[in-house]
Amino acid sequence: MSIPTMQGLSTALSGLLAEQEELDVTGQNIANATTPGYSRETATLQTRGPIDIPSLSTVTGEGAQLGTGVSVESITRIRNAYLDAQYRAQNSSLSSASTQAETLQQAQGTFNEPSSTGLASQLSNFWSAWSSLADSPSSEAAKQAVVAAGQQLAGTIKSISSDLSTVSSQAGEQIASIAGAGGTIEGYAHQIAELNTQIKLSEQAGQPPNEMLDRRDDLLDKLSSLGQVTVTTQANGTDTVSFGDAAKPLVEGATVNWPQTVSAATGGQLGALLGLTAETGPLASYQTSLNSLASTLAGSVNALQPGSPFFSGTTATTLTVTATAATVQTASGEAPGGNALALAIAGLRGGAAETGYAALVEKVGSDVSTAQSEQANFQQTLTAVGNQRQSVSGVSLDEEMTNLISFQRGYQASARTMTAMDSMLETLIEHTGVVGL
Amino acid sequence: MSDYRITPSMITSTTLDNLNSDLSALQRTSDELSSGKTILEPSDNPYGASREIDLQSQLDGLNSYTQSAQDGISWETTASGAMSSISSVVAKVRELLVQAGNGTLNKADREHLGVEVTQLTESVKADANAKYGDEYVFSGTATGTPPYEQGSNDSYAGNTESVARQVGPGSSVTISTDISSLLGNGPESGDGKLLDVLRTISKHLEGGSPEDVEALESTDLKGLDQNYETLISLETKSGTAIDQFQSAIGGIESLQSTITAALSNTDSANIATTSIDFSNQQAAYTAALRAGATIVQESLLNFLQ
Repeated sequence: MSIPTMQGLSTALSGLLAEQEELDVTGQNIANATTPGYSRETATLQTRGPIDIPSLSTVTGEGAQLGTGVSVESITRIRNAYLDAQYRAQNSSLSSASTQAETLQQAQGTFNEPSSTGLASQLSNFWSAWSSLADSPSSEAAKQAVVAAGQQLAGTIKSISSDLSTVSSQAGEQIASIAGAGGTIEGYAHQIAELNTQIKLSEQAGQPPNEMLDRRDDLLDKLSSLGQVTVTTQANGTDTVSFGDAAKPLVEGATVNWPQTVSAATGGQLGALLGLTAETGPLASYQTSLNSLASTLAGSVNALQPGSPFFSGTTATTLTVTATAATVQTASGEAPGGNALALAIAGLRGGAAETGYAALVEKVGSDVSTAQSEQANFQQTLTAVGNQRQSVSGVSLDEEMTNLISFQRGYQASARTMTAMDSMLETLIEHTGVVGL
Repeated sequence: MSDYRITPSMITSTTLDNLNSDLSALQRTSDELSSGKTILEPSDNPYGASREIDLQSQLDGLNSYTQSAQDGISWETTASGAMSSISSVVAKVRELLVQAGNGTLNKADREHLGVEVTQLTESVKADANAKYGDEYVFSGTATGTPPYEQGSNDSYAGNTESVARQVGPGSSVTISTDISSLLGNGPESGDGKLLDVLRTISKHLEGGSPEDVEALESTDLKGLDQNYETLISLETKSGTAIDQFQSAIGGIESLQSTITAALSNTDSANIATTSIDFSNQQAAYTAALRAGATIVQESLLNFLQ
C-alpha cells in the first residue's frame, strides 16, 4: 500500500481549516479585548490520526506512519478557577470595607466637626453664656442669651440624632433592595441558575460553552461584592453557589433558594450594611452616646436649677429647653445679684458632657479611619489579584497581532502546499504517459 | 504559559488607579492648603479631633474668665472710687471737728457746721449707692436695691451675701464689699458705725452744750478715727481684689498662648511642608499622565505594515 493520491490535498486542507479557525479565534479575542469578564480563547489543535504505509520503506521493507494533518479539538477559554475564588473573596472584603467607609463617613458628616458651628462649639457657647450671666446676673439680656444658647444646643443635638437616623434608615433601604424579594441577589441568582441549565445542556453536547461560562463567572464576581460567595462546580458543569452564612445554597443547579436569613458575617456590601445597622452596630452606639450626652447635660444643668428645670427630656431627640429668661436662676435666693448657680453651671465646662462628646467624635473618627484604611488595603490586594487574573485571562493585543501574523502565514503556507500538490497531480494526470508525444 | 503576561487592560486600569490616587492626594493637599488645617474630618486624626474639641473649649473658657476678670476690675474700680469719695468726706468731717473744738467758734458757727455735716452724711449715703451698670455694688447680692435711702432712714437695705467672679477653674475672687460694716444702720441702732457717728456729730454740733462740745473732741473724734480704720481696710481689700484680677488675667494670657500653640500644633497645616508636598504630588501626577499617555497609545499595531 502506498500513500493515497489525494492525501496531500486533504492534509493541506486540514491545515487551511485549522489556520482559519485559529484566525477566527484571534478575531474573537480582538473583538472582545475590552469586554468585561471575557476570557481569552485558544483553539486546541491536535494532529490527525496517521495512516500506516506498510511498504513505504524500500530499505527495510518496514512500514511507516504518515501524518494526515491537523484538526481543531476544541476552543477553550483560559481561566484560573483558583484566582477566581481569590478575586471573589477579596472583592467581598473590599466591598464590605467600602460600604462601611462610605456609610460611616456619612455618619461622621452629621457631626460637622471640627468646625465653628458643630456641637462642640455650641456646647462651649452655652457655658460661655452662663459665664456671662454670672458676670451680670440681673441682666435680662444675659438670661435671654443663656436660653437661646441652650435652645441652639438642644436643636443641634436633635438634628445630629435625626441625621444619624436617616443614615441608618438609608442603609436599611439598601439592605431591602439588595436582599429583599426580587432584589439584586435574587436577580443574579436567577440568571446564574438559567446559565447553569444552558451550560449543562451544552456540556452534554460536548462543547465548552465559553461565552456562557464567562457570563456566569461575571455574575459570580458581581454577586461576590454583595457577600462572600463559595462556588463548587459540579461534574455536569453547573455551579453550586453558597452565599454568606445562608443555610442553603443560593443556587443549586437550576434552583434558587432566596430569600434566606443572613447575618453580618455574610460579608460584602450586605454584611457590612447588616453590621452597621445592627442593634449593637456603630450607628446605634453613636445614638446611645448622643442620648447619654443629652441626659448628662440635662441632669447636670437641671441639678443646678432647683426652682424650675432648664431642660426637659433626657434623650437626644426629646431634649428641649423649657426655661425662659424669667425662670432662669442665677442663685438659690431671691436676691438678683447672686450668681452662685450661674457660676456652678459655667463651671461644668470641660465636664462629662464635653469629654463624652469628644470621645464620641474620636470614636466616629477612628471607625471611619479604620474602614478607610481597610478599604485602601483591600483595594490594593484586589487590584493585584485582578491583575493576576487579567494576566492569565486578559487579551493582549500584541500577542493577538503576533498570532494573527503567524496564523495568516500558516494559512498561506497551507495554500501553497495545496498548490504544490495540485501541480504534482497535474504532472501525474496531464503529463504522464505522453512521453515522446 | 508561566510568564506573567501584561495586557493592555491591566495597563489602563493600573494607570487609571494611579492617576486617581495621585489626584486624590492632590485634592487632599489642596484642601489642607486652602483651609490651613490638617484635620478636616475627625477621621483624619481621631485623637487630634477630640483634643481639638477639648483645647478649643478650654480656650473659650479662658476667654470667659478674662471677661469675668475685666468685669470684676470695673466693678471694684467703681467700688473703690465710691470708697475714696467717702474717705475724703471723713477727712473733711475730721477737719471740721478739729475746727469746732478749738474754741474760737460761737454757737451759730457750730450750728452751721452741723448742717454741713448733715449734708456730707447724705453724700456718704449717695456714694454708697454707687452703681456698676444696673447693679448697686454695695448691696451684697440684692443688687437691685439701693443700700441706703436718702433722708433720715439710715438702715442698710442690702444684704451681706458675697458676690464673686470666677477667674479660673475653682478660683474666684470676691468682689462684694460689706459697706454696712463701715456705715452701719444709723443712730437708732447706736452701732457706732460711720453713719451713727456722723449723725451724732451733727447733733453735737447743733446742740451746742458744753457736754456736746466736749463729746466732739473726745468720743466723736475717736469714733470717726475708728471708722476711718475700717474704711482703709475695706479699700485695701478692694485694691487687693483688683490686683488679683490683674494677676489672673496675666496667668490666663500665658495659658491662652500655650493652648493656642497646642491647638495650632494639633490642627494647623504647615504651609511650607504642605506646599512642598503639593509640588511633589503635582509633579508625580504630571509624570503619571505623561507615562500613561505614552504607554497606553503604543501597541504592535503601530509598527505592523
